[in-house]
Amino acid sequence: MSENPGSSPDTMIYLEGVSKRYPDQGKDAVAGLSMEIKRGEFVVLVGPSGCGKTTTLRMINRLVEPTEGRIWIDGKDVTHVDVDQLRRGIGYVIQQIGLLPHLTIAENVALVPKLLGVAKNKRRERAEELLDLVGLEPATYGNRYPRQLSGGQQQRVGVARALAADPPVMLTDEPFGAVDPIAREKLQLEFLRLQERIRKTIVLVTHDIDEALRLGDRIAIFGPGSRLAQFDTPLQILSNPADDFVRDFVGAGASVRRLTLLKVGDVIGTSTMEASSVLTTVEVDPGESVHRALEKVLAAGAEGVNVQLAGGASRIIDIQGLLTAAAQRTPVPS
Amino acid sequence: MERVTVPGTRRSTAWVVPAIVLLLVVGITVYVGSVPLDSSETRSLAPEVIFTSLWQHVQLVVVSTVLTIAIGVPLGVLLTRSRTKGAGAVVLAAANAGQAIPSIGVLVLLAMIFGVGFWMAVIALVAYALLPVLRNTMVGIRQVDRALIDAGRGMGMSAREVLFTIELPLAVPVMLAGIRVALILNVGVATLAAFTNAGGLGSIISSGIALNRMPVLIVGSVLTICLALTVDWLAGIAERRLRPRGI
Repeated sequence: MSENPGSSPDTMIYLEGVSKRYPDQGKDAVAGLSMEIKRGEFVVLVGPSGCGKTTTLRMINRLVEPTEGRIWIDGKDVTHVDVDQLRRGIGYVIQQIGLLPHLTIAENVALVPKLLGVAKNKRRERAEELLDLVGLEPATYGNRYPRQLSGGQQQRVGVARALAADPPVMLTDEPFGAVDPIAREKLQLEFLRLQERIRKTIVLVTHDIDEALRLGDRIAIFGPGSRLAQFDTPLQILSNPADDFVRDFVGAGASVRRLTLLKVGDVIGTSTMEASSVLTTVEVDPGESVHRALEKVLAAGAEGVNVQLAGGASRIIDIQGLLTAAAQRTPVPS
Repeated sequence: MERVTVPGTRRSTAWVVPAIVLLLVVGITVYVGSVPLDSSETRSLAPEVIFTSLWQHVQLVVVSTVLTIAIGVPLGVLLTRSRTKGAGAVVLAAANAGQAIPSIGVLVLLAMIFGVGFWMAVIALVAYALLPVLRNTMVGIRQVDRALIDAGRGMGMSAREVLFTIELPLAVPVMLAGIRVALILNVGVATLAAFTNAGGLGSIISSGIALNRMPVLIVGSVLTICLALTVDWLAGIAERRLRPRGI
C-alpha cells in the first residue's frame, strides 16, 4: 500500500485520473481529473453548467460510476467497495433537498441510522441532537411533516439528515440553490458556523462564484471541456487567476472582492507607511476584513483606521495607506 | 394542515351516501310490499333468494378484487424496474386493449373455452379489472419525484429499500384510486356473471327480464346500485385511512 496516493493522513478524498464517458456522447463528461482534498477542508467545485462539477461530486459517492481512474476516501480505495455501504458513510445534500414527504422531520433525519440498524430510541435521540445542532427546536419540529416547513428550514433538515451517521465526508450539490437570496446568505453563514464546530470534509458544488468565494477553503474552478482550470484558495484565485477563463469567470470587481478576504492585520504587516496621528480614525480589529474596515471608515466619515494590536499596541493607517497595502499584498503562489 | 380529501369522505358529508342507500332499501321494500305479487314474483323475491344472490355477488367482488390486487400491484412494480421499462409499455398497451373489449364478450368467450361457474366469472372479472390497478400502480410509482429517489440512493438505500421506503408509500394514493375503480367495475360486471351460472344479483335481474316481471327487475337493479354505492363509500373511507400522512 506504499504506492497508495490517498493514504496520507492529511488526505481525505483523493481522485486519481478519474474520467466519465457516456456512450452516447462524443466528449468526456469528466476527463482525467486528479484532485486531493484534505481532512476537514471545505472545497467548492464551481464552473459553468456542463463543466462536469456535479458529475465529479456524484462520482465520489458513486451515484455516477467513473469510467476510468480511482477514488480514495480516508485512505481506502472505494472504486470497488459496496456502494450502499459506501454511501451510508458519506453525507449527501441535494438542491431539491429530497425530504421524504410522508415521514416526519425526525424520521427523515434518522433515515441513515435506520439503514445502519440503530435502535429506535437511539435514532430518536440522535435526530433531536441534530435538529438542535442546525437550530431547529426538536420539540417543535420533530413531529412535523416536511411540507409544514419553509424552504430554508427544510434545507437545514437536509443538512441534519446528511450528518446523522456522523460521516467524515459531506457532499453537497447546490444546497442553497432553491432558497431565496436572503435566506441563502443566512444559510451560508450558518453552514460556515456549523462547519467550524463539526470540521467535516465538505465538497460543495455551485455555479455561483460568490458563494464559492464566501464558503470555500479552496475552490476548484472547472472550465469548458471539464478542465480543472484552477484549484486554490479564494484569495489566490482573486489575486492570481491562472488564466483568462478564470479571470472571466470570477468576473468584474475581483480586486474589490479581494478586500473581503484580506484581513487588516495581514495587510498592515506588510505596510511600510505610517500616517500622521492627527487623523480622525475608527478603531478596528486586526481580524476584520479590509472591506469591513473601509466600510466603517466611510460610514463614520473618518480618514483612517486605528488597528488595535495584541498587547495593547495600536497602529494608525489612513485609507490610502490601507488600500495601497492591500493592493500590494499579493499572496505568494502556493 | 392542508390535506387532499377523497371526494365524499369528508366527515361532514360522509353520511350522505349511507343515507341514500338506506332510502333506496326502504323504498324498494315498501314498493314490493305494496304491489300484488304473483307466484313467480314471490318465488324470485323470496328473502333467501335475495340474500343468497347478494352474498354471491359480494363473494365475486371480494375474491376478484383481492386477486386483481395480488396480480396487478406486483406486476405494476415489476414493470417499473429499470430493467423492464420496455416491457412496461407493451403490457400497458395490451391491458388498454383488453379494457376496450366489452365485458360480456370476455365473459362469454371465457365460458365457451373454460366452461361456467364461480371461478370462471372470477377470471373474467380479474382480467377486466386488472388494468386500472396495473396502470395506477405504474403511474403512481413513476410520478414519484426523481430527486427523492436520488436522495435515497445517495444516502445508501438499496433498490429494495428505495421501493419500500420511498416509491410504494408515495404511490399509495394513486394505487388506491385504481383499486377503487377496480372494485366499482367488479360490482357492475359481476351482474353479468349470472350468464355463466355464477349467481349474484345479476340472476335476479335476468330472471326479471326473462319472466317479464317489473318488480323483480327493479329489486335486482336497485340492490346492485345500493351495493355499488356502499362499496364505493367504504373504499373512499379506506382510501382516506390508508393514505400516508404528510402528503
